[in-house]
Amino acid sequence: MVALLGRPNSGKSSLYNAITGGDAKVGNFPGITVDILQAELRLPDDTVATVADLPGLYSIEAVVDQATDEGVARAFLARADEAGARLLALQVIDANQLALGLRLTRELLRRGLPLLIVATQRDVLESEGRLLDRAALETALGVPVLSVSARDPATRATVAQAIGARMKSGLRHRERAVDWDPDKIARQVIRDAPGITETAQRRRLFTARADAWLLHPLLGPVLFLGLMALLFAAVFLVADPATSLMDYLVDIARGALVHRLGAGLLSSFLADGVLGGAGTVLAFMPQIVILTLAMEVLDASGYLARGAFLLDRLLRLLGLSGRSFLPLLMGHACAIPAIAATRIIRDPRERLTTILVLPLMTCSARIPTYALVLSTFFAARGAWFKASIFVGLYFTGIVSGLIGSLALRRTATKGRSLPLVLEMPPYRVPQGRVIARKGAQASWRFLRDVGTTILAVAAVLWALLTVPMPGSASHAATAARGDAAPAAAEAPIQRSIAAAVGKALEPVTAPLGFDWRINVGLIGSFGAREVMVGTMGVIFGIENASEDPSPLSERIRQAKTRAGAPAYTTRTGLALLAFFVFACQCMSTVSAIRRETKTWRWPAFVLAYTYAVAYVAALLVYQVTGLLGMA
Amino acid sequence: MRVVELTIEEDLSAWLSAVGVGVGERLTLLRRAAFGGPLHVRSAAGGEFALNVALARSIHVRAEEDVDDTSAEPKPARESAA
Repeated sequence: MVALLGRPNSGKSSLYNAITGGDAKVGNFPGITVDILQAELRLPDDTVATVADLPGLYSIEAVVDQATDEGVARAFLARADEAGARLLALQVIDANQLALGLRLTRELLRRGLPLLIVATQRDVLESEGRLLDRAALETALGVPVLSVSARDPATRATVAQAIGARMKSGLRHRERAVDWDPDKIARQVIRDAPGITETAQRRRLFTARADAWLLHPLLGPVLFLGLMALLFAAVFLVADPATSLMDYLVDIARGALVHRLGAGLLSSFLADGVLGGAGTVLAFMPQIVILTLAMEVLDASGYLARGAFLLDRLLRLLGLSGRSFLPLLMGHACAIPAIAATRIIRDPRERLTTILVLPLMTCSARIPTYALVLSTFFAARGAWFKASIFVGLYFTGIVSGLIGSLALRRTATKGRSLPLVLEMPPYRVPQGRVIARKGAQASWRFLRDVGTTILAVAAVLWALLTVPMPGSASHAATAARGDAAPAAAEAPIQRSIAAAVGKALEPVTAPLGFDWRINVGLIGSFGAREVMVGTMGVIFGIENASEDPSPLSERIRQAKTRAGAPAYTTRTGLALLAFFVFACQCMSTVSAIRRETKTWRWPAFVLAYTYAVAYVAALLVYQVTGLLGMA
Repeated sequence: MRVVELTIEEDLSAWLSAVGVGVGERLTLLRRAAFGGPLHVRSAAGGEFALNVALARSIHVRAEEDVDDTSAEPKPARESAA
């Protein structure tokens, strides 16, 4: 096995992609709790080596916490030792920061690991008028050294050949004392090229010149926030039409399925349960692809670290650091890619805190329900009033997330944090091929890991909403309650298990102003909050409520209690909004948290705390507005 | 300026040295973020880092021409950089 090691931003990902052709699967390494990608590499002698891409790390000796990238790498090497694996450590070093990379080399040699060093970014080094004396470095270290550029098509063959030769020479552990000075060696082997051109001089100064603008105390934050706003707009402008297209295609497939199988339980299960679940999965794909690509571009260009630098002070007030900003911002579009994006946060406690508060950000899936509630309960109010409520809802999401992170850092995720040392890499032009592959890998992993959970939960919810409750007295009993939807024929959903559960929950939800119909809507939207509108449409006998919610709003406004009073008031609407702000009604988010934390404990924690807060918030809103005399 | 002492826990100090801001490193202060945000420093070893203020307070430095690790009380990086 070949273990790829290197500092963050050393060019490790680019090299991994260059030598493996981008093929990657998540390796199954016992005791390792983060995803380590692995791929097969065919060597010149036709043998195959497994290449494992370890997380970027600074040291294998200085491990502050087992959950950090350093801890993961050390655990990986220890397991390989215990298993007696033939392991070659391939250290990737950015030739432009050789002295820093050699600090890790020193540790790897002290540990006695068989080593091959690949110095990357030769193209950048040369474009800045510098040369690496590879042979001198090899002599100084006593280890084979390659000097490559990941953009060079010959790199794969060169590295494969060197790995093959190193494997053949035997991979014996040989601990040794290392007394050389990394800075001194770097000074000896990196030299200025004869006759440095003006272009090379300009390139050397490019990062410093760009930083003068991009890190300007006033201009810097404005530019960064502007770029983030553009990214955010792109998600809505590009992802929304793509999501609509996905919905349209799934609807066509559902129609075809019903046409072929006819109406019935099996056809309903396949069309509404399975294809409905698949639609939910696919609806998230455009956002996931766009946000993943954007994050990779920002990270690879070096600008992401600048954003973290600019906003660190703000987030420090909340127990987080600048690195949490991008995931929290992405959470306003969709929590799922945002949860994956927390991988950029090196501190494990800060990362967990960010994951746990992300479901509180106002994601795009909340918008249909907010719109329905606003048009139903605030129809008489002007656009400005509705707009201010909308802004208030966004603001409440942000503030609750910030309060949540402060509370978590003092309770569930308390403990020592890594000090903020943020590497500010030089600006680089991202490699399109590497970015595209990462986007494809993220999409595939989402489909495989999160998609399967969504399908399973969708099937269970279909059963709850469709299968009649054994012994249900149907229409007569519902009519006797006097609260059936007016002028609507009783839909099967009213005899469903979910309806029975909704009615059983009424004593608990009545203080919030919710009757069994809202309860059924909430059960239906447990998996995906945007389903609330469609489920309420089914309950009130309105077709296509998701496309045009106006008739549904009208029907909800007309709903009466047994005593003939309006079933829902403005207070119900406000309580419902309060509930939706906090409740994590998104099985995709729950599944994504499970995937990133490798345990069901934290998803269960998120469900428990968000629903508890949602209940209390809705209760307070309903009761306090009642005390204030609101109708 | 040169780092002469790190007044933080031993394991964190070892990790910082691996990152490139340990004792003996030569650093140049490039800028500070607004409102007391992080410090942007360049290391003579070739890296650039953002250090938050709390951490910077525990990194004690000497001006390069004064480097003498056995001499009087070191000063916090923040003060030296000011």
